[in-house]
Amino acid sequence: MTSYLLSLLTIAVIAGVVGLALNIQWGMTGLVNFGLFGFYMVGAYACALLITQLGWAPWQAVLASIVITTVVCALVSLISLRLEDDYFAIVTLAFAESVKLIVNNEEWLTRGSIGIPGIPRPFPSDIGMLLFAMAGLALVFLAFETVSRSPLGRTARALRDDPLVAETVGKNVLGARLRLFALGGTALGIAGCLHAFYYQYIDPTQFNVAMTASAFMLVILAGRGSHRGVLLSSLTVVVLIEGTRFLDDAIPWFAPHQLAALRLILIGLALILLLIYKPEGFGREYRYLHGRGRATGRAAAPAARCRWD
Amino acid sequence: MMQILFNGLVTGMLVALPALAVALTFSVLRFANFAIGAMITAGAYLVYTLNVVLGLPLLVSGIVGAALAGALAAAIDLLVFRPLRDRSAVTLMVASMGVSFILENIVRFIAGNTPVGYDVALSRPWRWAGLRINVEQVQALVVCALALLVVWIIFRRSRLGRAMRAIADNAPLAATRGVSRQRVITATWVMSGVLAALSGTLIGLDATIDPQMGWLYALPAFAAAILGGLTHPLAAIPGALVMGVLSEAATLVLPSHYRIMVAFVLMSLLLILRPAGLFGTRWLTR
Repeated sequence: MTSYLLSLLTIAVIAGVVGLALNIQWGMTGLVNFGLFGFYMVGAYACALLITQLGWAPWQAVLASIVITTVVCALVSLISLRLEDDYFAIVTLAFAESVKLIVNNEEWLTRGSIGIPGIPRPFPSDIGMLLFAMAGLALVFLAFETVSRSPLGRTARALRDDPLVAETVGKNVLGARLRLFALGGTALGIAGCLHAFYYQYIDPTQFNVAMTASAFMLVILAGRGSHRGVLLSSLTVVVLIEGTRFLDDAIPWFAPHQLAALRLILIGLALILLLIYKPEGFGREYRYLHGRGRATGRAAAPAARCRWD
Repeated sequence: MMQILFNGLVTGMLVALPALAVALTFSVLRFANFAIGAMITAGAYLVYTLNVVLGLPLLVSGIVGAALAGALAAAIDLLVFRPLRDRSAVTLMVASMGVSFILENIVRFIAGNTPVGYDVALSRPWRWAGLRINVEQVQALVVCALALLVVWIIFRRSRLGRAMRAIADNAPLAATRGVSRQRVITATWVMSGVLAALSGTLIGLDATIDPQMGWLYALPAFAAAILGGLTHPLAAIPGALVMGVLSEAATLVLPSHYRIMVAFVLMSLLLILRPAGLFGTRWLTR
């Protein structure tokens, strides 16, 4: 039971890192990254290959794969930063599918569909793994909170809400988008490494578009732009979704593939219902408020709810 | 060489149908419909149900199945996209991703993951002028050409097509001139559902059908639609043909499983060089 709880928490923490990455890319900046799982996959495979094939130490491999994922993110975003949301979504998705295709077929490098087994963890115990993952999450969270409060974060929100205005007041739109997207890539690299360490075995079937969809669900539920919300929503969603695995034993009349399908239907349904009924989510984005913390004699004005659609 | 050209033509035609569906919904509703892959799959399985489970002849089940798929698309619009009508393109796109999940997994839930095939007699390929031609390929060509012709006539020559173009051009203005937006949108969804089901069936005739099949065709369809210029629906057809031929030709130098990569590379190049698409002149042609 304890080990089950630990693994549940570790999965939630990794999902949290992925959620934060999407939150900075899409939540704050408005870049629709449908190819999320591709970048995550790059991180995981880079980490696994560097350790098992080249015999690098885990920390070296982690650093290297973070750099690789960040650079890849920056390069992919260069293709389509000038374009509108739809194109961006399609290009990132096509990139992710291409990564999967390459991993599946370049067997000399990635062992194809057989996968890479025996990835050693830097901390072998379950609790060590959880703490390691939590350290990663805390790092990403603190960094992103800082970015949110920085000029770059303000630019990001301006870009999302109205790129034309941001450009008019002299913001470097392309530069800011590139940096923020790459920053999300850094977090995805970390998440990919954590994935590789946690499962200790990776193969291409672990990475699919369901990951993208659940990350979007996390961010919408969290309230777009709210990093704290992502922490909460990732914990809730993972516990809910993984918790349904308990039901597998209770419902004997469905085959395993049917239950897997049901879980994905649930994700899709939640996504649509959230978009229709609760598009602003439950958390709140950081806003700089005049008069906050000052004794103005009245309560700080409630933050304007950001209208993002 | 001719063989590659011919195969490319058939692939292109198969991709042209969903590409056209994507471009139609894009021009009327202004968002990229990521559920197109799942719509292909759902359509193929609807036809499969009629053909194999109920034992109807393929032609009948194809027609009835396509009609059902059209109704399904209209129902999806009613349930999901209508409540989101005035939201941003991104919201609609994410919602279409959700739809895609639900559809694909309902199929998986009912039919399982095993590939299945339609109830058709196997036939020997014809040989003609050094070409190897399958009966399925000819069927695909004929059906695609007919479907594209019908869409072209609707889009260019009918009242509905004029209304669609009016809404694509300027929805509020069209509304003030008395064009019913909802009716046009429903018609667009029905058309895209029918197109997706037809392509799903034809793909299934050529090989087998499984829950993943539509997803594999979704990206080439998007690439084709972008190649033609998303805002100019009919340009998706030449876009798809160009892509079909090029990706078949690419198998000369690349292993054949990298066909989707060709779509990606082509699309990236195009987006860098000519974002409006090969044939799109942004908003001008009318």
